[in-house]
Amino acid sequence: MKNIDLLKRTDTVNELLARYGVKFGIYKNHTFKEQLFPFDAIPRIIQKDEFAYLERGLKQRVKALNLFLTDIYNEKQILKDQIIPEEFIYASSGYLIQCENIHPPKDVFSHISGIDLVLGKDGNWYILEDNLRVPSGASYPMIARELCRRSSPQTFHDYPIEDNRNYAQILKHALDYVNTGGLSVVLTPGRYNAAYFEHSYLAECMKVPLVSNTDLVVENDHLYFVDYSGKKEQVGAVYRRISDEYLDPMNFNKESVIGIPHIFDIFRKGNVALLNAPGNGIADDKGIYYFVPRMIRYYLGEEPILSNAPTYLPFYEDDRNYVLENFDKLVLKDVAEAGGYGVVFGNTMTKKQKEDFIALLKREPRRFIAQEVIDFCDIDILEGNELVPRKADLRAFVVSAEEPVVWKSGLTRFSRNPDSFIVNSSQGGGFKDTWVLSR
Amino acid sequence: MGVKSIENTDRLYWLGRYSERVYTTLKLFGMSYDTMLEEGAGDYDAFCRSLDIPNIYTSSEDFLRSYPFCEEDTNSIASNLKRAYDNAIELREEIGSETLAYIQLACYGMQSARVSKAPMIEFQKVIDNILAFWGIVDDWIEDENTRNIIKIGKRVERIDLYGRLHAGYESMRREICRLTGRIDRCNIHYRKDVLDRLNKLIQEKPLNYPEIVKEIEQILEV
Repeated sequence: MKNIDLLKRTDTVNELLARYGVKFGIYKNHTFKEQLFPFDAIPRIIQKDEFAYLERGLKQRVKALNLFLTDIYNEKQILKDQIIPEEFIYASSGYLIQCENIHPPKDVFSHISGIDLVLGKDGNWYILEDNLRVPSGASYPMIARELCRRSSPQTFHDYPIEDNRNYAQILKHALDYVNTGGLSVVLTPGRYNAAYFEHSYLAECMKVPLVSNTDLVVENDHLYFVDYSGKKEQVGAVYRRISDEYLDPMNFNKESVIGIPHIFDIFRKGNVALLNAPGNGIADDKGIYYFVPRMIRYYLGEEPILSNAPTYLPFYEDDRNYVLENFDKLVLKDVAEAGGYGVVFGNTMTKKQKEDFIALLKREPRRFIAQEVIDFCDIDILEGNELVPRKADLRAFVVSAEEPVVWKSGLTRFSRNPDSFIVNSSQGGGFKDTWVLSR
Repeated sequence: MGVKSIENTDRLYWLGRYSERVYTTLKLFGMSYDTMLEEGAGDYDAFCRSLDIPNIYTSSEDFLRSYPFCEEDTNSIASNLKRAYDNAIELREEIGSETLAYIQLACYGMQSARVSKAPMIEFQKVIDNILAFWGIVDDWIEDENTRNIIKIGKRVERIDLYGRLHAGYESMRREICRLTGRIDRCNIHYRKDVLDRLNKLIQEKPLNYPEIVKEIEQILEV
């Protein structure tokens, strides 16, 4: 690996990433700052056969999750058959009563699914999280690949690597597939969003307008883009990068100033496609994650190909007792948090912190899940001229149109702190490209 | 892409204006910088008066440090470059990453100048990148309307600055002619009566600079 020409060009690639403003936004001490996303040129390499296995497992999982979403907002057969306890649905903040009896165009709820995995030291891949609301991150390996190819053409001549620069086409196809007639657009909450680079870059690559709420209006049960001369053009698909809560002040958070009044009403009528569909939060709830293998068996009649990390729900008495007995060897996650926040390791707490946490856990058992700490594989990163091992995960992207398509790449995030398992960019992590070998 | 929002139209126009403001004021500053190197020398007050900006500086040294770099000073070159960037960053899908990159590189040049003992060398990179930005606007942006809105912003700003700086007759005449030839080539709303008056003013000798500045400031209905 050390001899790959690309590694000698790491500085060049990082300079190019800076040139193109490949950044993410972060609030520190109430101040917005843009930061470059540190890139490490050593790729994660996935062999062709291994990727084929992941591809099967990811497609299976996303199919089941989409079926679950249709079911849970309509027939609720999975509850009637007692595969998932009702309280896990109705107590979840991700469940939106407004989505009851809804059918999005072509019945696709999760068009873009970001599935987080790790490779355990036992050689098995484990799913850590399903992100079905507004998963971000695909743009980073996309542009990094472009710049790596420019910086070290020899590397890409020498190695059989699947080209990952087709993500925008895959995404555009998903928009076109569900488009109800008119323009496709990317809706951003604005440049102070952490993932604004991604919003603007994907819009550029798909050649569709990047819009904010002030550019869109609902009239006569349809959505329109209003141009600078006042002319209105119908919009048929919105790749929205705004969370459900802020999407429509008439149906969700009334305080939202970044939403579009009544957009949800016309979505319900089938007059516009929203990607991803509102209401998906119920399927990527950290508590519901526990039940995904059951969903796969229930909806598809298949055994899950990919495993969850061993997970316990303190909501159940048996699991709660296990968690209390094995507190020090578990990682505990607040189901309402994301981005690496709300994650605590039992063995890092002081006695007082532990007592307080356990009291909270007993008071609000539905709020937490506990997982065995997976000893996942390190991946080398370059620090100066030295290779040093760091924890890294993989966010795989599954884009669903007629069928789910697994993008032949993914975002590999790594921790820059040698003692940390937290890889999120907001927590100081960096990223790598993910190479899927073509032979 | 075909469709353009009101916000993006406004951003394109101001991207043109701020990029021009950085370019011209940086060139002007470069000329003044040399004369102010010796202690107590140079007339920064005259510089401020010519640009119609408040003289908030306490000495030549303070002026040489603050006018180019102070982001809290809304009239500084750095502030104007930041505004150019703030507009450009929201136009990536409109102007393209390749075009945006030159504004980003100009910002890096400004950061380097701030910590350099020879800032004029780094300022040259800022100027080079703004020139490259204007070049790539022509070469890269397919949509004629988009190109023209940026260029109209640039022309309006240049006429405004030239008016304040009492530029020569030929320079002023050329800029007003360029604006006149460009402004009907995009769908931007402007005041035809103002343009007519500007074209009349350019016939007068000596030029009535305050009147030109007053007129150019109201040419657009934005």
